[in-house]
Formats: sequence, C-alpha cells, structure tokens
Amino acid sequence: MRDLFRFLYRIRDTLLFLALLLTALVMLYNGNMHHRSIAINSSNAVAGTIFTWRSQVTEYTSLRERNEKLVVENEALRNRYGIGSDAVDTTMQPAGDSAIWQPFTFTAAKVVHATYHKPLNYLTLDRGSASSLHEDMGVVGPSGIVGVVRAVSPRFASVISVLNTDLRTSVKVKRTGHFGLLYWNTMDAATASVIDIPKHGRVREQDTIVTMGGDGIFPPGVPVGEVLSVENPPGRPDLNVRIRLFEDMARVGFVYVVEDRLRSERDSLESQQPTR
Amino acid sequence: MITTLASNLGRFALLVLLQVLILDRLDVANGWMVPYLYVLFLLMLPFELPNWAGLLIGAATGLVLDAFGSTPGMHMSACTVMMFARIHLLRLMAPRDGYEFGMRPTVPRMGLAWFATNAGVLILLHHLWLFFVEMHRFDAFFSTLLRAILSAAFTLGLALLTQFLTSRASERARA
Repeated sequence: MRDLFRFLYRIRDTLLFLALLLTALVMLYNGNMHHRSIAINSSNAVAGTIFTWRSQVTEYTSLRERNEKLVVENEALRNRYGIGSDAVDTTMQPAGDSAIWQPFTFTAAKVVHATYHKPLNYLTLDRGSASSLHEDMGVVGPSGIVGVVRAVSPRFASVISVLNTDLRTSVKVKRTGHFGLLYWNTMDAATASVIDIPKHGRVREQDTIVTMGGDGIFPPGVPVGEVLSVENPPGRPDLNVRIRLFEDMARVGFVYVVEDRLRSERDSLESQQPTR
Repeated sequence: MITTLASNLGRFALLVLLQVLILDRLDVANGWMVPYLYVLFLLMLPFELPNWAGLLIGAATGLVLDAFGSTPGMHMSACTVMMFARIHLLRLMAPRDGYEFGMRPTVPRMGLAWFATNAGVLILLHHLWLFFVEMHRFDAFFSTLLRAILSAAFTLGLALLTQFLTSRASERARA
C-alpha cells in the first residue's frame, strides 16, 4: 500500500496533467456538440468590457465607411417604402390586423469584436439579455447575414460567425427555390460554400442565395451571397457551389439581431407531433 | 519573491491584452500566420516554479484566452500540453550543474541558442495542438500543418523580438 502511494506521489505531475487535459477535452467536446450549455465565451462581462474599450478607440477610423454604408442602406429602404411619412396608409386597417403585424422584430447592435481569419470565428455584440437578446437569434448586417447568437450575458452577446466551420444555415437559391446548407469551408472571409443542392438543381453563376427561413432564426429571403462557381463532382449526389458573401465580414460594424415572434408557438406545436 | 510575482503578473496582463486586443485581430497572409504570443508568459515562468504550479498556471492561462475567444477548452488543452512538455524539456536542457538560483529563461541569461531551442520546440507543439484542435478534423491535414508551422515561426520571431526589446542593457552586457 505504501509503495502504491509512493508511486502515485512520484507520478503526481503526470496525474495532474492528465486531469487538466481531461477537463479541457470535456469542455472542448461539450462546446462542439451542444454549444448552448457552456459558460466560456466572449459574452462574459470582462471580455465584453475590454473589447468595448478597443472598439471605442478604433471606431473613429471607420466612421466615414460606416456612414456611407448607412446611406446606401437608407437609400434601399427609401426605394422600398417611399420617402413620405404617410407612404403606408394604416387608417383603414383595424387594430391588430395580421397584415401589419410583423412576425420579425429587429434590435440594432454594435459589433465590438470580430475575427474573420481563423477556422472558428466569433463576434461580440454590445447588447445582451438586458436588450431581450437570447441564444439562437439570427444576426444580419446591412448587406446580408452575419451569424447566429450563441450565448448572452446581461450586456453582451457572443455570436457564431458565418465564417465558422461549426455553423450551418438553411439557404435556398432565389431563382429556382432549391434548398441547401450554407457551410464555410473555404477559409476565406469573402467566400463560402452551399452544400446539399441536388444535381438536378440548375444553379448558375450569379444566382442569388437567400436564407430559407422557418428555422426560427432568420426570416426567409435575407440575402446571403452570389454564386461564383458551380462544379459537378463525380461520385457525389450534390453540387459543389461556391458563393461570394454579400456582407463584408472583415468590416462589419452595426448589425440587426432578429427576433422570430412566432418561434415559441411553432416550436410547441411541432413538439406535440408524435415522433416516428 | 514579491518582485518575481509582480513582474509575472504584469507580464501576464500585458501579453493577454496584447493577444486579445491586437494579435487576434491581425490578419497576416490571409489567416496563414496567426501569432499566439501570449505563450511567452508561460515560457518565461521562473525555473524554481514547482511542476504542479506550472501546469495549473498553464491551464488557467488557456482558460482566460478561451473566455475571450469563445473556444472552451481549446487554448486550455494546448497550454496544458505545452506546460507538461516544458517540464521534461527543461530537465533535458538543464545545464550540467542544474539551474542556479536566480536564473531566468530569457535570452540574456540563458543565451540565444538555448532560448530559441526551448521556445521553438514548445511554441511549435502548442501551435500544432491548437490548430488541429481548432479544425477538429483531419481532412485539411497539410494546410493545417503548414498554417501551424508558419504561425509558430511568426510567434517565435515575435518572442525573440520581444526579448531583445525588453531586456535591459545591463543584462545584455553581463550575458
């Protein structure tokens, strides 16, 4: 017995090493598999506050560019909804009419930290649960989709970027309606791939890819990107589609976080259905 | 003792801030070179530090980086592996009479060759572990390998540069 203790004492460093490594690997596994249950992310108050200092110092350098983006966005909205305040006549509509009830609401947030050159990229937003953000909300920029909220603290939110090999989003080809999954395997901040589009789907270059919606995360029809190239690899059931992302992920400044107000209703209905 | 503690704490704060505020955002060669200079803090821990303390400090440092990068366990595992390897590497690279009291793992005290070998091996190990764990698959094996090696070279370059910029002239004269 004493020999055993002596032996354990002699290899105590190795034992401590194995224990620490095991802890880290369990965290890693949990983080990859069910990423909702972990607390180690950039929405924590310390990281968020430090990132906010940095963005307060650096945001002046990009003010001109952000203003130009906002003007372009305003122009697009003006063209869509008209310039006058009475463009939408709501006087004849009864209160609570579902035609004017919006199923999606948007919360503006500022990106205080973002990476775009690693295999697993994340963004940190300056809004959190105090602004009624919660996990699994879609995040869209002025030009296209940006990511999905992964965790929130009272004042910050950690967002998994579309430039992350762990994120897959349902998208469709706008012209033909074929479904696919947006998957980032290009290791390049400007492009991504769409997988699982069947070979009979006649996707062409310059087709627009938009979100499919119905997943409780993104509204349908949010712009994603434009098809750059379509390959037909032999021996695989799907096309190899590469797209250019509309949102410039290297310069994303302000974003809108999407709340799907029908999500809980749809989720509870779907969970009532008997499982096969 | 107090000075050692203070200077190590200061180095920790400085290198972690440098890492998360500047180096993590640095886009060199399209993501082929991502420096993780914060490991310099672990490389410069004193020789007298007990092995168990080194392992715990390594794991804790990794955890702090994970909290900034939303990557639970990734930096923690890499730092733990690196600190375990450091125990054996320091034993392997010890001078004939062992490490003298007051010796520190820096270029002025141990020489450029010693520091570059020690730091080079450990940084490469750390980066290889980190980059493969980050990909968590092996289908892009060679590009990940190349990314890890290029990034390790970049980190080692920055570490050597930091050594020359921060060592005092008196230390350099003595060495």
